[in-house]
Amino acid sequence: MTPFGGWDMPLSYPSGTLDEHRACRENAVVFDVSHLGTLRVQGAEAFEGLQRILTNDLGRIQPGRAQYTHLLDKHDASVLDDIIVWWVDDQRFDVMPNASNTSRVAEALGSSVSAVDVTNERAILAVQGPKARQLLGTVFGDAAVVGRFRVAHVQLGNAPCVVAGTGYTGEDGVEIAVPVSHAEAVWDAIVGAGITPAGLGARDTLRLEAGLPLHGQELGPGITPLQAGLGWVVRWDKGAFQGSEALRAERDRGVARKLHGISVEGRRPPRSGQAVLVDGQPGGVVTSGNFSPMLGHGIALAFIDTDVSDQPIEPGQRVQIEARGGLLDGIVVKPPFVTGP
Amino acid sequence: MNIPQELRYSADHEWVRVEGNRITLGITDYAQDALGDVVFVDVPESGTAVAVGDSFSEVESTKSVSDIYSPVSGTIVEVNEALGDAPEQLNQDPYGSGWLVVIELANPDELEQLIDADAYLALIEE
Repeated sequence: MTPFGGWDMPLSYPSGTLDEHRACRENAVVFDVSHLGTLRVQGAEAFEGLQRILTNDLGRIQPGRAQYTHLLDKHDASVLDDIIVWWVDDQRFDVMPNASNTSRVAEALGSSVSAVDVTNERAILAVQGPKARQLLGTVFGDAAVVGRFRVAHVQLGNAPCVVAGTGYTGEDGVEIAVPVSHAEAVWDAIVGAGITPAGLGARDTLRLEAGLPLHGQELGPGITPLQAGLGWVVRWDKGAFQGSEALRAERDRGVARKLHGISVEGRRPPRSGQAVLVDGQPGGVVTSGNFSPMLGHGIALAFIDTDVSDQPIEPGQRVQIEARGGLLDGIVVKPPFVTGP
Repeated sequence: MNIPQELRYSADHEWVRVEGNRITLGITDYAQDALGDVVFVDVPESGTAVAVGDSFSEVESTKSVSDIYSPVSGTIVEVNEALGDAPEQLNQDPYGSGWLVVIELANPDELEQLIDADAYLALIEE
């Protein structure tokens, strides 16, 4: 067990991170991700209120859908949190921040709408992998058919649940919000269906292979969505939102650095904080790095300064990472490192 | 937790098997379990001289990096090259195929600083 954002979470179950990782790529795993926050925003003002705060455009989806979005700092457009919004019913949105950011997001939303923190009322179980739906379907058929980025009320036994076709592994699957009193029974049924329990260690190696950002590493203070290559999360055409002026200014002057994937030779894992050399000159920093269980070598996400070279940094660019014990030779690649379904 | 009686141990969670003037060294079952899945082992070159407390190898798991410190002084005379492609041996068989190095001792008296299996068990149960 390890402390994480105020929660105690398993780094791995007895089978270990690598086995759990492979199980998710080849079969199916279940994570207890109850540490994610749930802020419930309801009422006639909910839609407009969220539109004024968050970067993505809820007008592009509808009730019964989920959307990835950002909350920005109003002064410098830093990503205060990256969030999934479950649009559950016409006037009900479940906003899902990262564990340690829940109170910060509640505070920001509070300026526009009324947000109730219901995190402690439910557990969230993420079932992920190419066989997630097939195996989940043997015990909870209605949960297994909730489509990608769809959200639905589903009754699992006597438990009223909300299920979304979302996740953080690069694989297909669903996330199930279940009342705390029923969570253990639903977990046991899922594991009983032959789905492997997986911990925080595998969650991190899986999301890294999938090129998905982690708040606190690829996103956070001083990092905007444009630097992180997540411009698609920002819908300029919907009107003003928190931080939009600051972000527009950055867009107009051009970003000073951009997030890239780096694939390194050999097994030694790059680590966050290590310098990236371009043409032998320091010009970037690793934000996340590890061994890729599927590729068998090291991979990293890293910010590289845009002015480090006369040419824009493109996939294929050779770089080096200053690791413990020497330089790692690497090549810039466009994430994901491993492609899912 | 597997702690073979016939081996000697360091407080840094290494085991040592003494064979004449040489020792074989690896990390304990407790150490491999605490590290989690090992994905990379930086093995030193044969012929490297080491002193007590020198870091001569790095073991990286999916979650952390650990230095391996020599409990003795001497010369590394054999290294487990197989760990380069199969670092998981450290997890699967820490006292067997997961061995790290063989060191020729410069000063066999240093072995007296190592502890026996019972003392090591007491140490990790602290």
